Amino acid sequence: MNPALIGALQRGDIRRGDAFAVAPAPARCVPSGTFASGFAALDAELPGGGWPRGALTELLAGHEGIGELGLLAPALATLTGAGKIVVLVAPPHCAHAPAWAAAGIRLDCLRLVFPRRPRDALWAGVEALRCGGVAATLLWLDGMFRGGLPANSLRRLQVAAGEGGGAAFCFRPAQCAAAASPAPLRLQLQAAGGQLRVQLLKRRGPPARQAILLDVRQPADFSRSISRVVAGPALPAAGERPEPRRVPA
Amino acid sequence: MRLDIGASLRLFGGLSGLLERVRADLAAMDIPAQLAVAATPLAALWLARTGGNAVCPDLAATRERLAAVPLPALQLAPPLARRVEDFGLRCVGDLLVLPRAGLGARVGKPLLLDLGRALGEIADPQTCFVFPEQFEQALELPAPVDATPVLLFAAQRLIAALAGWLAVRNGAVREIECLIDHGHGATTALPLAFSAPVHQAARIERVLKERLDAVHLPAPALALRLAAGDVTPREQRSHALFDGAGQGDEALADLMDRLVARLGPQAVQGLACHADHRPERASRPVAGKPSATLQAPPPRPLWLVEPPEALPERHGRPQRGGALVLVAGPERIESGWWDGGDARRDYFIAIDAAGRRLWIFRDPRPPGGWFLQGVFA
Repeated sequence: MNPALIGALQRGDIRRGDAFAVAPAPARCVPSGTFASGFAALDAELPGGGWPRGALTELLAGHEGIGELGLLAPALATLTGAGKIVVLVAPPHCAHAPAWAAAGIRLDCLRLVFPRRPRDALWAGVEALRCGGVAATLLWLDGMFRGGLPANSLRRLQVAAGEGGGAAFCFRPAQCAAAASPAPLRLQLQAAGGQLRVQLLKRRGPPARQAILLDVRQPADFSRSISRVVAGPALPAAGERPEPRRVPA
Repeated sequence: MRLDIGASLRLFGGLSGLLERVRADLAAMDIPAQLAVAATPLAALWLARTGGNAVCPDLAATRERLAAVPLPALQLAPPLARRVEDFGLRCVGDLLVLPRAGLGARVGKPLLLDLGRALGEIADPQTCFVFPEQFEQALELPAPVDATPVLLFAAQRLIAALAGWLAVRNGAVREIECLIDHGHGATTALPLAFSAPVHQAARIERVLKERLDAVHLPAPALALRLAAGDVTPREQRSHALFDGAGQGDEALADLMDRLVARLGPQAVQGLACHADHRPERASRPVAGKPSATLQAPPPRPLWLVEPPEALPERHGRPQRGGALVLVAGPERIESGWWDGGDARRDYFIAIDAAGRRLWIFRDPRPPGGWFLQGVFA
């Protein structure tokens, strides 16, 4: 190879199309880099070996309730375990504290923000991302805007994430997959049997061809532990059940 | 008001220069005043009451001038004043010529002591004036203002004054009240509450900006007033040398303050467990510090649907965009008969056609029915 070309390839700001980019280092970002997602198969496919800090990550879930939060739970548990703060902006439902605690997430490190107006939701998201004291921000903004997110809002979020240096996870409907996005990392999530199918739509590196199947925390795995009745008489006949079980009275 | 000016004469260019300056300042503030300079504080007070701008820079001149001071200027208690008048005494000089021992027996010791203090025979230590530990400052706006950015700009002056006032005391405040005066007795109060005591002008400004953006002014503002709540000593913390750990905490507190200021206190919540079997009561939003966590029982969904969504039933199976498949359960939760929130439910984990994992329950009591209460995300 041409020695001049080899020299050019050694530069930090040049990457080959078939290799991962070096983890992006935004200007004001203090703790740049990545942190482990808790799924080895996913980490191997993510540039830098984990979820990026200081950059927007889009999670395009076909439906809610397929394990999209379970995908983040190990990483959030690690972050909050270290006393880092996680902010949820405009979550779609009430959070059920015992379940979050059971997922290993420290509740005293969680902050939930429920803005009423869409404009406020975007503002709260940008402010949370820009704050250096927040390690990860989870956003559910599409539900707030009736006609879809305004055109430049993802750009604003991406810039804010770069300023604050925390991780940014934006949950969006699957229909947005075709639209262009400034987020450097986009994942499409689908339910696949009992597993979560993760397709990397966009990353700083070679395009991912194969989807990853991940075993996110399955509530059904715990079905064996469901055999206790808090109080009261036995269950009356309740329709057909795949796993009929006698419940001790 | 008594000022000890002995030490300040050189700075202000001598006694005449100082007096001129005091007079000019008083005139500028439109405060009527009678000045007197004397060698002792009490003599200065008596001389000021008589008027006439007495200036007696040393003790001899003070004695001389005091002799002419009429006794009413001493503001004695009425019975004593009457008695002294009955003696035929008219001015301080009349008192001074009488023998002290006899005078003491007739008018009492306090007056005698006061005389001694005024003449410089007895020490007269004064207590220094301490400024009240409260900040309240107002600002008249030059013209009625209804644009909040202009108000914020005007408030910056007050905030800078407050920050300086706090810096002198090494203090911080948790609550600040900003009053916008619309004239005719109408005011808008903007209480600013902070999650932690603050002292930086920039943080106060940012929170006030969010409050001002959210508020709707009923009328143009004529004046602004800023009052600080209780002052607490500033928390001294040594900063980490390399990673900005303390800065992160401060940035987070700032973020929370601004979110609360713009979205309202209900919109920003923490999360805490509560010992109750009913899921809707086992999780509580907490505004302040979340309490200790509890170990969770069997699998629980991360999201709770509030209130539970009623599901149709067909052929004995719950429906939600198609029949739901029950994959686990039942788990009986029966609780709350004592507090009016009586619940008896059989919970199942169900999967719908799209692969959503849902937490549904069946109410065995009439009218019964299936309900969706949670989503395993």
